[in-house]
Amino acid sequence: MKLSQQAKKVFERLKSAKHLRFQELEEEGLDQSMVARSAKELEEKDLAEIETEEEVAYELTKKGRSVIREGSPEYRLVEILEDGPKEFSEINIPADVAVGKARERGWIEIDDGEVRLSDEGGLIEEDELVQQLKNENFGADHVERGLVERITETTRTLKLMRKGEQVKVDNIEEEFNVEADAEPPGIGKKHFYRHVMDEAKDVWLEMGFQEMEGDYVVSGLTCFDALYIAQDHPARDLQDTFFVEDPKASDLNEFGDMVDKIRQTHEDGWKTGSKGWQYDWSEKEAARNVLRTHTTETSVQKLIELEEDDLPGKYFIISRAFRNETVDRTHLADFDQAEGIVVGKDLNFAHLKGYLTEFFERMGYDRFRLVPTYYPYTEMSVEIQVYDEDEGEWLGMGGSGLFRPEVVEPLLGFEATVLAWGLGIARIGMGAGELEDIRGLYSNDKEKIYETPLWNPER
Amino acid sequence: MPHIQINKHEFDELVGAKVTDETLNEEASFLGVHWNHINKEKWDIEVYPNRPDLLCVEGLARAYRGYFDQEKGLEKFDVEEGSIKLEKSESVEKVRPHIACAVVRGLKLNERMINGLIQLQEKLHVSYGRQRDKLAIGLHDMSEISAPFTYKAVEPEKVSFTPLEYDKDINLEEILNNHEKGQEYAWILDDEDRYPVIVDSNDNVLSFPPIINNQLTEVENDTEDIFIDVTGKDEQTVKKALNIIVSALSERDGEIEEVEVDGEEMPDMTPEEFELDVDYVNQVSGLDLSPKEVRERLEEMRYGVKMKDGFKVQVPAYRTDVMHQYDLIEDIVIAHGYNNIGPELPEVDQDGGLTEITRFTDELRDVMLRAGVLEANTYVLTKEEDLFDKMEIERSNYQIHLENPMTEEYSTVRSWLTPSLFQVLQENKHNSYPQEFFEVEDIAQKAGTYTGAENKKKMAYITAGEIDYNDARRKLQAIERDLDIDLQLEKASKKFHKNSRSAEIFFKDEKIGFIGEYSEQVAENWDIDQKIAGFELDVEKLKEEI
Repeated sequence: MKLSQQAKKVFERLKSAKHLRFQELEEEGLDQSMVARSAKELEEKDLAEIETEEEVAYELTKKGRSVIREGSPEYRLVEILEDGPKEFSEINIPADVAVGKARERGWIEIDDGEVRLSDEGGLIEEDELVQQLKNENFGADHVERGLVERITETTRTLKLMRKGEQVKVDNIEEEFNVEADAEPPGIGKKHFYRHVMDEAKDVWLEMGFQEMEGDYVVSGLTCFDALYIAQDHPARDLQDTFFVEDPKASDLNEFGDMVDKIRQTHEDGWKTGSKGWQYDWSEKEAARNVLRTHTTETSVQKLIELEEDDLPGKYFIISRAFRNETVDRTHLADFDQAEGIVVGKDLNFAHLKGYLTEFFERMGYDRFRLVPTYYPYTEMSVEIQVYDEDEGEWLGMGGSGLFRPEVVEPLLGFEATVLAWGLGIARIGMGAGELEDIRGLYSNDKEKIYETPLWNPER
Repeated sequence: MPHIQINKHEFDELVGAKVTDETLNEEASFLGVHWNHINKEKWDIEVYPNRPDLLCVEGLARAYRGYFDQEKGLEKFDVEEGSIKLEKSESVEKVRPHIACAVVRGLKLNERMINGLIQLQEKLHVSYGRQRDKLAIGLHDMSEISAPFTYKAVEPEKVSFTPLEYDKDINLEEILNNHEKGQEYAWILDDEDRYPVIVDSNDNVLSFPPIINNQLTEVENDTEDIFIDVTGKDEQTVKKALNIIVSALSERDGEIEEVEVDGEEMPDMTPEEFELDVDYVNQVSGLDLSPKEVRERLEEMRYGVKMKDGFKVQVPAYRTDVMHQYDLIEDIVIAHGYNNIGPELPEVDQDGGLTEITRFTDELRDVMLRAGVLEANTYVLTKEEDLFDKMEIERSNYQIHLENPMTEEYSTVRSWLTPSLFQVLQENKHNSYPQEFFEVEDIAQKAGTYTGAENKKKMAYITAGEIDYNDARRKLQAIERDLDIDLQLEKASKKFHKNSRSAEIFFKDEKIGFIGEYSEQVAENWDIDQKIAGFELDVEKLKEEI
């Protein structure tokens, strides 16, 4: 029988010990990756087997300890409400967790900004959560709330098998093993979603697109009004958009007479050939600052900047946009979008399709289709769908269209066609990271980053 | 986006042909509404906000008769002359100034049709009507009421009736306080001292818009004649909503009859005319259609076309979304099929390129990756506790504040990058040490720009475990080596650092960042039982000076 030098050495130790924890071998001065390699080699030769035991332990976090000290937020809320209903602003503990949890359990009712105890809530006498934590009666919900940490300890043991007992060490020839696996080095590596975004960026560059840049805090004017989104459009509701309290508003003098062109376009169509939305447009509403809800705002800024001589031109950006959403498995408040525009005199819908087809083919999607949808700022509004071979279904990848004349003319000041798209590349990132939960795109578990293979559109 | 549910059997009857499930699954969505099969005859349909006329099975059937080639061109609506009048009092000007009315006679209703009408009414209220603020619709059985009608604003305590879903007479104020619908929509009448009502010639209340109708006029299976009122704050919206309801009832063989509202005959079902430039259609779509082909596509989408003296398109009175010939072009292309065009790539000769700051960012990322560091990808949104309190520093005047965050966790925009990497360390407590992460990304803070804020590119590095200041210093040194620059470090006493393990980083006399070992207090605040060190750099300043 042949074994590598290291495996022979481990085998010799194992012959006398019968059982050996990996850790013991490491403590004797053997290198961690060498131990793992040798163990595998012995297992392949049926001389030994590797037993893996996982022990899960729970440990209170700082947050958990503070709940034991101060009581759970939901119980403290119940205590506060025992004196009668309260307005949200009167609750002087971090209200979102407290209200969320108490509501989940049916302890409170909320009506028009006022919080009061439900019948069930009135019966609560004991802080159940504190008792559970004190008695170390830990569960998954405690982990989810960050009160308790789950610590997994893995113990690997090498156990001598019958064949191993029979084989004598002296009969083993030493031979260098070129076939065995090895531990990869802990090298630098991009987060898998960054890698996908870099690849997408490269595709746009190869297709001749120039990068755009822009800020997170923008005016309603460039985020909505310039895109012909009426001021009472539901997208401008508090539920969807983060409004900025400080700095509250933009100085729209920055945009000169463009503000008035946008006003007129909304009110009666200006000279765009449109009837307009026919309402009284408010400059104050347009000045309100928001966190950009889409990277299309950056395209607006680019159109403002362009001169007739710059045409035709192709531009892209991959960056953050923000929506005032409750974050869960399928929603983020803060996410990346891939945005692009092509500006020129002789562009049409077939060209829009050309660019999108090209991009998605390069990103590994061969089947691709356009389905009619609606955006206030595009005509031939399309939802881009690609066919996911693994799932056997069409997936929405984002929106696209030709900017309406009501958008283009006030911004450019001359006639041109603008092809535009805003793509959600989250789905590609989730595929790359094999994620079920969208929050994984912005999670940074060290092992997950190491273990995730580099994404490649061909795979 | 509004969704409605319809019965396919009913749809087939109205279309006048049996449409297969396969056709609905494969083709129907290409008209611009999305079909999803629920079970048996039940389908869910997602309708986009530009087509409120499709929020009922009647409207869908009318559109698909065209799309599936059953019946093309403009639908004709015969509007009979009538004798019913409604007088609008000036008292409504302030509270709810617009009203549009019509009568539809000779209906043969059933439970399903009534539910469909209620669904249409509710969906119009929510989306097109902005939760009844912009428009509200009332449908009334005419057998118990007598014209002429009056629309006026009254004092809330002085008028009473028995609203739907209630068992006794109560006044308008009590409706707002006690009735479920009253509570839900009372906000629309906030700050008003008079509320709108529609009454008949005997002072019977028909409706208290936008809240609730009188039980007296409830539409039931034996209802034959319906009086429709639409009230609201925008004249166009109110009139269009009336047209949508009337055209739906007309699909049910109802006879439309005019109502005279303050001297104006309603509903006005005359199509609006738009000029269309056929060359422009081809230019924008990339198609090469003859005028005759353009006409056919438009007729499939239920428009009328007149080809004498130019090319004129008649837009049906129930369409709310056509404001530019661009809108007609979209419908032409939909009829042609989005997937029967192109793709083509035009000749736009341009080299691709990154912004200077991205190019520099990518260099820095490269240096860090080659130096063995993992790249993190973190949220821009965070909370002030993480940015300041846990880092043992004062809250900053340059911090951006949000008005309406849904949760504390995502309640502000980060103003520096290091706290994001502390979050990453916290997420990795179960993993082995040492750990190293970096990120190069934007932060935002208040500034003297026209918005009052701006983005800045920062770079942060962090390491935790049995490490010290020198481990962070070595990574910084890698940047110096690879970019061929010489940084100066000056001893400092940052509040988040350990005494004597804190320095500010200068480049050509410009302060561009800090480096140091974080204090035990900071580590404890983040609940990390390790030594932690790192640095943060102002990438834009660094680049400027190079």
